[in-house]
Amino acid sequence: MSEQKNQTSTATVVKCMSCDYNVEREYRDGDYVMKVEGTCPKDGGKLYIAGIYMKEVRRK
Amino acid sequence: MSLFTLATAAAQGSTSALLSTYIPFIVLMLFYVILFLPGVGQRFQSYFITKDIEQRLLVLEKYANEAKGTTERLLKEKGAKDPKGLTERLAEIFVIDPVSVEPTDIISRMRLLMRSGQNKVKDMIKLSVPKADPVTVSKIEVSAEITNALNMVYKVVRHYLLQAKKLNNFYLLFQLQMVVPMLVKIAESYDKAHKTFVEGKPVGDSLGPMVASRFLLNSEKKWQVSDETIAGETYYEGRRLIVVKAEGPMATVGTPGEAVEKVVEENKGRVKRIITVDAALKLEGEKTGSIAEGTGVAMGDPGPEKIAIERVAVRYGIPIDALIVKMGMDEAIIEMRKEIYDAVDPVVEMTKQIIKERTEEGDTVVIVGVGNTSGVAQ
Repeated sequence: MSEQKNQTSTATVVKCMSCDYNVEREYRDGDYVMKVEGTCPKDGGKLYIAGIYMKEVRRK
Repeated sequence: MSLFTLATAAAQGSTSALLSTYIPFIVLMLFYVILFLPGVGQRFQSYFITKDIEQRLLVLEKYANEAKGTTERLLKEKGAKDPKGLTERLAEIFVIDPVSVEPTDIISRMRLLMRSGQNKVKDMIKLSVPKADPVTVSKIEVSAEITNALNMVYKVVRHYLLQAKKLNNFYLLFQLQMVVPMLVKIAESYDKAHKTFVEGKPVGDSLGPMVASRFLLNSEKKWQVSDETIAGETYYEGRRLIVVKAEGPMATVGTPGEAVEKVVEENKGRVKRIITVDAALKLEGEKTGSIAEGTGVAMGDPGPEKIAIERVAVRYGIPIDALIVKMGMDEAIIEMRKEIYDAVDPVVEMTKQIIKERTEEGDTVVIVGVGNTSGVAQ
């Protein structure tokens, strides 16, 4: 019988202030919501952290 | 000779058969008789209940000691002189409730005592680590609060267990056994929350500040309106919005009541609506992240902040809306779950809908993002 375990990881959602660019990456130390980081590859707008949340990763 | 031997053997055989049949029965009967003697059964039960509580008490002790260790480590990392001594002092600090048999002025007395208590903890930490930045100080402050809470839970359970044993009070043990599993569950949540706050990540309760931060995204006018609380001005569909939230990314709930009171007074009461957004406890069976709309101040405050909003709203006849996102008690203090994060955008849209439907162009609306703003700036 295979045992299922739920592991968690933290995701950071980065969005562009001026377009719909949206990317999710692994959480890094020092991340916080509304932190401005870099420019948008799509339209050159400012990128900001829109959210940080816990993801459940189901592992067998 | 052979006949005599056979007869003896037969007799012996029947006696041992008789004994082997009846002895267990007699022993069992004796056991039940002893068990039903007054007090004996209860003593047996007390023994097992005590063992059960003692095992859970060990878990509570482990959580309390680990929390102390974390606070001590944080203080040590920032160069505190006596981290162990300060941790012990913070773990034992308390606030005495105001006199409630005379309710006159209880809110201002409660506010004074609560704020004095919070400021005392903050001052003790600042004095110990004067070079620490405000975000680090807030992390140590929350760590100290969690340590204090876990230490208190452990000590109270230990107190009742020892008292029950001392007084040989079976009913006290029985009640304790019923309540201790819930306390262990709460302590477990606090333990998880401790890690999240120390890392500076948003918790479930950060939903309100996260919604407020969405409105403040393009705001160019932000100011500190009250202690650890920020207000920002922005516009939506011709309405002027004043958004209030705790000052992030520090782990604080701020003073939203005082902030809203100031904002409304500064605007001479010309505020069309106050919209409060907060995390709320779900009932068992309800889905985490489900949204509900209501009337009143959505705030889990013991009194002073909530009543400040109600009083100023009553003074100027301002309707108060409440938007809540439901979650479990543990989910409110541990790292924000995806289901809760996914509710942020729908709540922003609902807030906008309320503004469009219940106010007109040129009106001023106050939006309050209630909750702990750990990991959420503005």
